[in-house]
Amino acid sequence: MPYQNMLIEQKLSDYINKASDLAGKTFEKKVRVAILCSFTINGIEDAIRVKAADKNIDCTVYAGGYNQHNQEILNQDSDLYKFSPHISFLMMDTRNVLGEIFHFPYSISESERKSFIEKKIKEIEDLINIFTSRTKSKLVIANFNIPTYSSYGLFETKTEYGFHKMIEDLNHRLASSFANSGSVYVYDFNSFVSQYGENNVFDYKLFFFGDIKVSPDYIPYLANDFMSYIIGYLGITKKCIVLDLDNTLWGGIIGEDEFSGIKLGPEPPGNAYVEFQKVLLALHQRGIILAINSKNNYDDALKVIKEHPYMILREEHFASLKINWNDKVSNIKEIANELNIGLDSMVFIDDDPINREFMKLSLPEILTVDPSPDPSQYTNIIKKMNEFSALNITSEDTQRGKMYSEQRKRSELEHTVTDIESFLKQLELKVFIKSANEFTIPRISQLTLKTNQFNLTTKRYQESDIQKFSNDDKYFVGCAQVLDKFGDNGITGVFVVRKDNSKEWFLDTFLMSCRVMGREVEKGLLGHIINKAKESGVERIKAQFIPTQKNKPIENFLPACGFKKDGDYWIYSLDSKLTIPNYLVVRVE
Amino acid sequence: MSKKLYDLVAKVMNVPSSTINDESGPESMANWTSFKGYVLLYELETAFSVKFTLDEAMDVKKIADIKRHLENHGIILND
Repeated sequence: MPYQNMLIEQKLSDYINKASDLAGKTFEKKVRVAILCSFTINGIEDAIRVKAADKNIDCTVYAGGYNQHNQEILNQDSDLYKFSPHISFLMMDTRNVLGEIFHFPYSISESERKSFIEKKIKEIEDLINIFTSRTKSKLVIANFNIPTYSSYGLFETKTEYGFHKMIEDLNHRLASSFANSGSVYVYDFNSFVSQYGENNVFDYKLFFFGDIKVSPDYIPYLANDFMSYIIGYLGITKKCIVLDLDNTLWGGIIGEDEFSGIKLGPEPPGNAYVEFQKVLLALHQRGIILAINSKNNYDDALKVIKEHPYMILREEHFASLKINWNDKVSNIKEIANELNIGLDSMVFIDDDPINREFMKLSLPEILTVDPSPDPSQYTNIIKKMNEFSALNITSEDTQRGKMYSEQRKRSELEHTVTDIESFLKQLELKVFIKSANEFTIPRISQLTLKTNQFNLTTKRYQESDIQKFSNDDKYFVGCAQVLDKFGDNGITGVFVVRKDNSKEWFLDTFLMSCRVMGREVEKGLLGHIINKAKESGVERIKAQFIPTQKNKPIENFLPACGFKKDGDYWIYSLDSKLTIPNYLVVRVE
Repeated sequence: MSKKLYDLVAKVMNVPSSTINDESGPESMANWTSFKGYVLLYELETAFSVKFTLDEAMDVKKIADIKRHLENHGIILND
């Protein structure tokens, strides 16, 4: 990805023209998006479709009529509901919502202003609740831009519950109302306007000309933000950033400039690299895996990582360190294997255009990012990327960095023992089986959305789906937390069983995160399902393996556990005996 | 200089530049919707570093009108 494209958007007309060329093309994933807006926002559908196509997503967009959002939501027979969107974006402008009070906030008293906002938030909540009761679509509602102008001028900030405070309160109340909702998200449109500038985003002439409240040049930036939700919804969030070292994490070349000569510290340009590392560390702390892929002498580079006083990222922050003279494509493949993640979930950042070109040509599924020739822009570029967007950040995500550091220690143990069984015994594996509840449902959904390899059916479920299953007696949903002597791997296994009848259950979903693959933990989880089936008098468990390009690791799981092939399905007779490894401690919580 | 204007109109309207002349406008071009009309004016402002007035924006029936408005801002398109 050229850095210019990440910092400066193309013109809206470019997107409109490219969108007209998309007809007939096929893409890997599909999503239906509705856009409801109280003002003119033409062109955003084209920009979203083109941006989605760049990520191999066929995005069908329903653009609601101008200022028709209320009618479309209230009328249960509206075209909006017929379209059945997966994600709906709702933008209501500050002017529309405040009406005359937008211009004359001080024509009413402070208490009247408070009552007014109270009434408005209630109206918005009611509208959203009607929408969510009628559709499974996620709803992304934009908050309200706080205009810089106030008729009170300098005195605005000294005024109790003044004009700006009213809109701040509206935004705050909106965010609070839906903070715990799994289906409603608040988009920070006010920050969007701050980022690009009110005078740029809002053009009076266009406003008077056609009620246009986002200028054409800024529609692609807005579309980029909206794409974040589509990425999060589809679960195609990138998991790992693979970094070069020289001129990427620090300035200069360690092999030539030596330890004291590299640029890293409080002075420019070293401070740009420190800042970049801080942004990467923050991503690591929310669950993005970091790895190194660098052509260098291992000892020279590791000395910087371990001992340089201004280095922010240390050895424990990297899940893998490939510092050698091998080609970078081979290295990155090894990193993917070690971490058990797909190449398409990786981002590669390298200042060297030749390395980047080699990567792009060899492994196009990896997102190769040009950090720009100017280190002062590295931070900006990483912050502009929407590839790390997730609709939910679970406690497993925040612990992931630590987990991968523990994984490195496991690998070290694996290399010191000669056979796999001794290794697994020494791991002291524990499997805690948990039911689906308010704490586990977000992670269960996340695993169904993200797990590709050890996944029997690759069925993707949103939180609302899992919630529905867990409330339905016809379903049995659970998950497994896996621990070992090096630490807690978190919830890494999921099952969804459909109780078809009194004699037969169907294994709708069965998956394990790549993090715990190869330890036979899955047998502990399956054993639990079998025990429950026996308790319920069930005679057989039916399962299905739906092959994909990525789930080969689970291909032999069913026959290995005693399932027998029956047409397109596999049947496990409860008379069979599943052997659960004796080194596994399984506990049902 | 007219070429720069024609090329931009052609790009926004997604038609070949050769089909554009001073008489081209919303009446003669199916692609010239009101939406594309304001996208065109907005992109012209950037390309020619001018700011049209609201009256000028509303008074565009054909390319010749745009040329006239550009002249008001000191942009003379000599062929």
